[in-house]
Amino acid sequence: MRLLHAVLADIRFQLKHGFYLVYAIITVMYLIILSFLAENILSVALPLIVFSDPSVLGLFFIGGIILMEKGQGVLMVLVVSPLRTSEYILSKVLSLTIVSVLAALAITWFSNYPTVNWWLLLVATILTSGIFTLLGIMINAGCNTVNQYMLRTIPYMLLFILPCFALLGFPYSEFFVIIPSVAALKLMLGAYHGISGFETAALVIYLFAINYILLKLAVTTFEKRIVYQD
Amino acid sequence: MIQITLFKNDLKQIVRDPIMTLLLLAPLLLIVVFELLEFFLVPYLAAEVGFDMTPWFSYVLAFVLLMNSGMLGIVTGFMMLDERDGNISQLLEVTPLGRIGYLANRLIFASTLSIIYALIGIAVFKWPNLPFFSIILLSVLSAFYTAIIGLLIFSGAEDKVKGLTFAKGLNTLVLFAFTDLFALPWLTFLSWVFPPYWLSLIIKTPQSLLVITLAIIVHMIWLGVLIFRYSKREA
Repeated sequence: MRLLHAVLADIRFQLKHGFYLVYAIITVMYLIILSFLAENILSVALPLIVFSDPSVLGLFFIGGIILMEKGQGVLMVLVVSPLRTSEYILSKVLSLTIVSVLAALAITWFSNYPTVNWWLLLVATILTSGIFTLLGIMINAGCNTVNQYMLRTIPYMLLFILPCFALLGFPYSEFFVIIPSVAALKLMLGAYHGISGFETAALVIYLFAINYILLKLAVTTFEKRIVYQD
Repeated sequence: MIQITLFKNDLKQIVRDPIMTLLLLAPLLLIVVFELLEFFLVPYLAAEVGFDMTPWFSYVLAFVLLMNSGMLGIVTGFMMLDERDGNISQLLEVTPLGRIGYLANRLIFASTLSIIYALIGIAVFKWPNLPFFSIILLSVLSAFYTAIIGLLIFSGAEDKVKGLTFAKGLNTLVLFAFTDLFALPWLTFLSWVFPPYWLSLIIKTPQSLLVITLAIIVHMIWLGVLIFRYSKREA
């Protein structure tokens, strides 16, 4: 119940701060671009757009959200409130995931792409969004300004995004799937191009485990380095 | 004199803070990335897919100029938001520097960098059709764009999160540099209002006096309105 209230409060906050409006505008922009692409290019561009923007939006916004709440003293209140740290973090992850999912579904739906596995797209977006938001919470530790946060995300983004080129295919490139972003992109591509049941199950279990580990790490980092600032 | 002293202090602050130095050097990284793409990707696309990128180079140059100046604008906008949260801007505004002096100091610094990076960008891409005057004009308009983005974030956002939402939304303005490609009359018409369209058009038609005049007017109106809005709101 606490978690549900926290999620609803975060959604209200995001609505007030224009997250939904800005993603509506961005969705329209992507749809204009995608409408001019030939189908063979669209089949590559669409999953890449969904993966690189809506799914990763948590990483972009979470830094500012936590810095602002820190500045407003919200985190100090959190310490004495019944809301657990894990619930606070989950609330942020879930609320940002809702924006991701809505944007991803809208971009895909209005692109009129013929073969989409909607359930798989939903799962892939949720798991990818979770990874990047939780990563953002950990990167945020020790940051005092948004500029510091944005700069700190660059190496992580390179570390997570560059290996995705492995999906183009080269010798031993299949080993790169151990990197969560590559696994997430593989699942995302599977939602559009098809993927075997075994591979889907393996990727979903793996990404779920990564989300769980990152959540544990994020809770520890958040308590130690953001709330109490050891 | 006060401006010069503050400018020197800003430089010191940036040199001392490695994060600020890196952020302000980030546009160079972008130029290097695009040069590498030009070097490796263009021949690859031509050889493997038969896709000739040459006709699209003007758009690539427009994209690089806009991304660089937009990035500097966003950094400046957040720098000013942080200073407002830390009450530093309020402190500076009551010094002889004043409100407009503070704003000018922050924007001129980022805009100067924008001019330098625009010149580097154009030099690196070796764009052959651009006369010297157009290169200077593009650099100056890039500086204007930096100031416009910085001001939009600073005066439009009440807090950091709204600043991030603004930054995300403002990135979509780059789309207006490419609207000619979509051949949608309503979109082209809408683009006339936004600076990126004119920057792209100057690269494509550097000799057109009408385009140059309209580009300057559009940029000046945006900057003028935003400065007026800032001075009225802060007063």
